[in-house]
Amino acid sequence: MQLNESTYETIFLLYIDNELSHKERLEVEAFIVDNPGYALEMEALKATVLNVENIPYAFKENLKHQLVETSLETLEEDWNTNYASVLKEEVQKIPGLSTSFKHSLKKATVSEGIMIQPLRFNQHKFTYAAIAACLMVFIGYQQLTKSQLSDSQVSSSSATNSMVSNSLATNSNIVLVPNVSSASTKSEVTIISKTNKQELVNNIKPITKTKKEILILEKLNTSELEIAKTNRNASIAITEPTPNNSILNTQGIITKLPTSYNNPITIDAMVENTTEERVTTSYELIETEDPNRTISIANFEIDGAAFRGITRRVSAILKRNKSEKEK
Amino acid sequence: MTDIEYNDCVDNFADGVYRFIVKNIRHPEDAQDIVQSAFEKLWVNRAQVLPEKAKSYLFTVAYHEMIDHIRKSNKMPLEEETSIPHEPINQGHVELKQVLMRAVNQLNPTQKSLVLLKDYEGYSYQEIAEIMNLSESQVKVYLHRARLILKNKLSAYASIAS
Repeated sequence: MQLNESTYETIFLLYIDNELSHKERLEVEAFIVDNPGYALEMEALKATVLNVENIPYAFKENLKHQLVETSLETLEEDWNTNYASVLKEEVQKIPGLSTSFKHSLKKATVSEGIMIQPLRFNQHKFTYAAIAACLMVFIGYQQLTKSQLSDSQVSSSSATNSMVSNSLATNSNIVLVPNVSSASTKSEVTIISKTNKQELVNNIKPITKTKKEILILEKLNTSELEIAKTNRNASIAITEPTPNNSILNTQGIITKLPTSYNNPITIDAMVENTTEERVTTSYELIETEDPNRTISIANFEIDGAAFRGITRRVSAILKRNKSEKEK
Repeated sequence: MTDIEYNDCVDNFADGVYRFIVKNIRHPEDAQDIVQSAFEKLWVNRAQVLPEKAKSYLFTVAYHEMIDHIRKSNKMPLEEETSIPHEPINQGHVELKQVLMRAVNQLNPTQKSLVLLKDYEGYSYQEIAEIMNLSESQVKVYLHRARLILKNKLSAYASIAS
């Protein structure tokens, strides 16, 4: 290293940057001692060196906090030593969780599958059902026609009744007895016929539900009509003497009529000629202002015994079909 | 590098990296972000970084982060103008240290980084060359130029003061 006027600046810079060896540094210091004029130059260059400042970084712990794995390891060890055993014991205390739940998880075999058969069309069943439906329709139609027949018979019987009533009206044996035994103010008139109708009475069977409302407004004679008109709320009981002086069940009751019906009188009569049919029919005839126009209201009920027979037949057919299929 | 060695790096080098960055960009929050980013990269690449190379690795990463930050924000000249108090040079009471710092801040970023790395961290030319991706001769030339600039500024201040 040669120190002279042309090289001293570079060597001095190397000196202050600590880029010289110890021997070179000694040579530089000796040069400055020998040449004091360069000492100021060296001091000026040394003045450009910055003094070390302490500027701390305030977030070192945050940088260390990113060491997640170490913390997780310690947490895992802490968990295994302190909490895992406690949690295991608590889980074992829960009923049904430790044994049955685990066994359900450890199911070794596949559960049996349920084979679902597709819905197939059964021709036999359909045939029987169709037959049963046809039977029901046929029997129902039959019952309907029978009821129509009974209607005609009832009308004929009502005609006979009207004739009877006419005869009763004209018969001198009929005694109209005002019945004042009722507590109400309604006046009741009892028509007692002394004619011998024992045979008709004997044919009458006590059927509690069989009623027929027959309007016999024009069939009644004028005296009865007047009585009925004057006593709208009155009831006429047709009683006939029986051999043991019992009162005949046949009753003709004049029901309460609205005023707008042009004074129609409806009489409930027990008509016993329908007992053979075992069908209950009820009629209601309402006359309008037009004399040629009459409103008829009818409903019929199929006897339960007859319907029971139908259901019995259908069930027998179905049972037979089922037994054959089982065989 | 193990996790413990990484923690040692945080303890030993975080202050130096932060000082180097904050002296360059003069913005503490941005400097903190850069330091955090540098240590994050060290953590990610800790398997490839040797412990004895960790300091230069940190400074290298931080320096390049700082260059990117300066290029993106481009607010360094403005901060130089605003953050440093302009005290009149002819005032005799101004300390030499403050004058020197003002002179350093007036250097270009490369020269400033060279001076800071040399004086604060004591890096050799070779290490500075590695950090700043320069040749050793470039570091020597640039640093000598920076020293002469600083000397001239200090001499001018001394002559005015006297």
